[in-house]
Amino acid sequence: MNITLRINGKQESIECLPGEMLTEVLRRAGHFEVKKGCDTGNCGACTVLVDGKPVLSCSYLAVRAEGKEITTIQGLADEAKKFAAFLTAEGADQCGFCAPGFALTVLAMKEEFSSIPDEAQIRHYLAGNLCRCSGYEGQIRAIKKYLEAQHAE
Amino acid sequence: MEILKYACPQSKDEAFRLIREEHGTAIGGAAWLRTNTKTIALGVDLAGLGLEYVREVGDHIEIGAMTTYRELETNPLLRARFGALFETTVSHVVGVQLRNIITVGGTAAGRYGFSDLNTTLCALGAQVVFYPDQTMDLAQFIERGAKVPFLLEKVLLPATAKGTYHQMRISENDFPIINTTAVWTGSEWRIAVGSRPAATRLCPKAMALLGADLHPSDDILASAARAAADELQFGSDIRASAEYRREILPVLVRRALMEVRE
Repeated sequence: MNITLRINGKQESIECLPGEMLTEVLRRAGHFEVKKGCDTGNCGACTVLVDGKPVLSCSYLAVRAEGKEITTIQGLADEAKKFAAFLTAEGADQCGFCAPGFALTVLAMKEEFSSIPDEAQIRHYLAGNLCRCSGYEGQIRAIKKYLEAQHAE
Repeated sequence: MEILKYACPQSKDEAFRLIREEHGTAIGGAAWLRTNTKTIALGVDLAGLGLEYVREVGDHIEIGAMTTYRELETNPLLRARFGALFETTVSHVVGVQLRNIITVGGTAAGRYGFSDLNTTLCALGAQVVFYPDQTMDLAQFIERGAKVPFLLEKVLLPATAKGTYHQMRISENDFPIINTTAVWTGSEWRIAVGSRPAATRLCPKAMALLGADLHPSDDILASAARAAADELQFGSDIRASAEYRREILPVLVRRALMEVRE
């Protein structure tokens, strides 16, 4: 079947099978910035935003995304670069495989909270993003500093 | 999972017809499709039916079948009526990204043994409404299932209740080893236990011991907690043995009861 998706503001017509998940369809359309990690709904590497909400694209039926706004890390490149600078400064970027999903979840959290979330709230919101390099401490420091800087702007 | 043919009906009548007459399989949150090896001849996506809502109707609260866990976690009406009960129940389920996908209806219809949410819904005395006109206690549905293919439209809850959820997990985002929700309805106690690892069950003997008093003594709470473990069956799996579950449960039930009592 053929579906039309709006990806990062651009309309794209894509062939897909009825039971296919969004990760497969996005990557087939050339969006390799959407990482395929565990592929079982656990690691958060494949996170994208659907109508502004973070979802695991490996567990999201592709046909259901028709007519919705899909945002990958490329769609928020400017904002993601700002956040990435904080990750690098804290030594938290490491191999980088989890970074696109991680950054999208952080950006979604920033939009969802009206004030700066505390550390417990940050850890809770990011519980679905696994990183096997860093141990999270650097990332938590980077997120806090990024959110504080954004709030100050 | 493979879906050979896909339909996204825009009315409940059409969805019901596809499920009943064309042997369609209802698709709720669809998060488990990826890890399932079945083949579905006709997938009936419920996303077009407008079943995403939490609203007060008369003397109860209705939750549409396609309402996500994240909505339960953050919904102001549920927060106002049940405190943090729904937040604490669903907040261990992987991450925000999965909770933005999985649904109340998918969980109830699946009658999953590992479910956090079904335990709380059963303790609240939730009813499930099957389109067009059948209403059934969720606890009864979980125990007996349905004889014919169904379209689960919504879940009904009492307008308010005081409850708390306790669970034990090996790691933060794993399935629970055991879980329990204790609820004071305003006139009686209700206790449900899930992840035994089999599906959620109520604990009628323990509930009877507590009577109709919001402030039972510590001894009565301890007896009820022990009774809950004695009246249920437990099983062993890769997460825990039946014996371990039986020993842990009274501790969780007593904590839950004490928290509600206070």
